[in-house]
Amino acid sequence: MPNYYDLNVHSSPECEDPPERLISVAKRCGYTAIAITNHSNLWGEVTGEGVISGIEIVADKISGLKKKIEIYRPKVDVLLVHGGDPKINRAAVENSEVDILAHPSHYFNHVLAKFAAENEVAIEFNLDEIIYTRGVPRVRALSAFQRNLKIARKFDVSMTITSGARSQYDLRAPRELIALAGLFGMSESEAVGALSETPWNIVTRNRKKKRPGYVMDGVELL
Amino acid sequence: MKNIPSSMRERKRYIAFEVLSAEKIDRSELISELWSSASSLLGDVGANSCNLWVLDFDGRRGILRCAHDRTAMVRAALATINRVHGTRVGIRVLGTSGTVKSVTEKFMRQVDYSKDTIN
Repeated sequence: MPNYYDLNVHSSPECEDPPERLISVAKRCGYTAIAITNHSNLWGEVTGEGVISGIEIVADKISGLKKKIEIYRPKVDVLLVHGGDPKINRAAVENSEVDILAHPSHYFNHVLAKFAAENEVAIEFNLDEIIYTRGVPRVRALSAFQRNLKIARKFDVSMTITSGARSQYDLRAPRELIALAGLFGMSESEAVGALSETPWNIVTRNRKKKRPGYVMDGVELL
Repeated sequence: MKNIPSSMRERKRYIAFEVLSAEKIDRSELISELWSSASSLLGDVGANSCNLWVLDFDGRRGILRCAHDRTAMVRAALATINRVHGTRVGIRVLGTSGTVKSVTEKFMRQVDYSKDTIN
């Protein structure tokens, strides 16, 4: 069984539940670790067993986004950008310091996909939209996912699946998320990769960069 | 009336699940929420094709029966349940199996995820 990671979970102080509680529920669901990715305006350092330190950067202007990426990049192992706005989506995929473009919504196309593949920015399929909406909004969310999946496949963009949990009740086990991803056409092997291999590659890549003596990929001062 | 011969009965899967909630959940309320979630996500036709039936539920853990080729859909429908009668819940599948006996033995006593498969 692969190791699973959920890279978008919000804890206190942004939401109700403390990180420890979320981790114990996540472990019971079958995750190896989860990333606590509070929004940048309520961010605080979270460390511990089973935690990947992360952040979801919220910005309404490109200049603000760049500044925040510079501040937080050395502090975290996974850096998400709160997407959904066409300009922010574009700025996020153009920046190789960004790991994941979170919920890009409908504003993701072949141009952004090329940049995302080049800069190794993964796109996120945040399944809370399927879990928490019904009717027309859910149909819209599914259609955006289906479209983004098609584009991501074509340009070989990495994909991650997350629960976007804001409380312990929002966490879903990996297999449930895989089943939900199947609703918009993601194959089982793609979904497993999006929950295990891709997140782990992102985290190890960043941890390697944080090591003292790191110069560039493959070059280290000993 | 005579029982239908076993060779002509629909094939089934049994799903063991666990509900995470602050309060104990009522069986009938869970069933009505399950049906409403399933028909909202899969439509009336899809929900019917799943052949859902709750066999056993003690307020925390339970066993659900469904059509053998619809377990992925049922998993998805279970995942979209977030409230039962106003109480926040999260449902987790413990495992699936072909008979009530094996699902009880494998998953209701001790949870072993490595034995669970998606379909």
